[in-house]
Formats: sequence, C-alpha cells, structure tokens
Amino acid sequence: MAEDLHLTCQEIVELATEFLEGELPAEQATLFEEHINLCDGCEWYLDQMRTTIATVGHIEEEQLPPEMRSRLLATFRHWRRS
Amino acid sequence: MIAYKFLRADGSSVYSAFRWPLPKSSPGAWVDAPIDPCRSGIHACRPADLPYWAGRSLYEIELDGEIVEAPTKLVASRGRLLRAIAAWENQLRDAYTRICADRAHELALGVSPALEKWDAVIEPSIPEGPALLGFVAARIAEQRGGAAAYRAERARQSAWLAERLGV
Repeated sequence: MAEDLHLTCQEIVELATEFLEGELPAEQATLFEEHINLCDGCEWYLDQMRTTIATVGHIEEEQLPPEMRSRLLATFRHWRRS
Repeated sequence: MIAYKFLRADGSSVYSAFRWPLPKSSPGAWVDAPIDPCRSGIHACRPADLPYWAGRSLYEIELDGEIVEAPTKLVASRGRLLRAIAAWENQLRDAYTRICADRAHELALGVSPALEKWDAVIEPSIPEGPALLGFVAARIAEQRGGAAAYRAERARQSAWLAERLGV
C-alpha cells in the first residue's frame, strides 16, 4: 500500500467537516494542515466553512424571517423526495 | 525545549486563529493548552519541519511541560514566544521560493522522459509563495523516486533554511 504523504484538494473538501469537528486521526489531520498551509484555495474554503458554522450555528428557528423559513422547508421537502 | 513557530503577519495562528502574546523587549506570556495533537496543545516545529509549515512570520518558541514528538511537528502543553526570527523576511522568503523553483525545474527536466506537465506548473506557482514551491519540488522528487525521494527533498530544504536562519 502506498504511503500517504499528502492530500489532494478534493480530499480536503471531503474531510473538512471531520477536521473541523476534531474527528480526523492525528496523522491525517497533520496532512490536512500541511495542505492548508500551502493551498490558498483550500484555506479560503476552510475559512468559509468556519464562518458559516459560526453564523448559522447561532440562528434559532424563531429568528428566521417567515419567507426564508418557508423557502428552507420547501427545499428540504424536495430534498427528502429526491 | 527550543522550537520554532510560524504565525500569520498579525501574530495569529494559521489553524486556530489564536492571537499569540508576542515578544517585545521580553518573551511573550506563557500559553497553556492540554495536549491532543492536531486538536489542542502548543504546536511548533523542529528545524527539520520548517519546510512543511513555512508561513509569513517565524518565531522562536520555548516549549515546556509535556512534549509530544510527531513526524513533522512537536506538540507541547505549554509555550511562549521568545523572539521573532528576523532573518525570515521578504528577501529570504523570495530566495527560498526561487531555489525551490529552480530545484523543481532541475528535477522535472533532468529525467527522461522529462516531466513536462510538472515543469509547466512551477513558474505560475511562484506568487503563491515558499510553502507551495517547497511542496512542488518535493512532489516532483516523489514522482521520480517515491516517498524516500520526497523526504530527501524536504530534508534538503530544511538544511537550506536552517543554515540561513541560524537555527
């Protein structure tokens, strides 16, 4: 089996959630961080995810405007059917 | 234990965004964090690890408490920044980027058949800075000679940096 020396950008996208949740094994997390250190695109992607989590993670249901709540519900109803 | 730490220009950590107490006329304040490699703890590097983490600003850091040695980094329960490594400035960063680019060309073209697709990415990558060019050179070495060649190229980069930074 080939030794993993680095991760690709696609792998970074796939592993980003696990990384942010602290679920990656230490060796893989190190490879993740090495990649982020040299790839501006993936660093921005990770920053966007952090910002999204920090923002959306604090919105309560009652804070949503009625129109946005309806749109989100419609979107998720469709998502369940597809 | 003395080690090294790259930070953003504003003194914040690249991964946690933690703003380090910076040294001025005296060392910065001690920072404590429980050790959990890649999740928690004071992360720093040995001279051999420098190419993997090359960033904007470089500091000498004193580590204390429990210290865990990982393949490309150290993780400690305690650390404080002792001084900025002034030698890691624009001119040296540019010089390192250039030697990595030149080495990458040498590796890509010094084999038959030449690795022309790899060679084509070298010059456009230069504006991205030293971390990427170091990686590109090591990646081309790996393409030619596998994991051992990748590590050997990283060791070559470490030696270059350690000599110029005096670490």
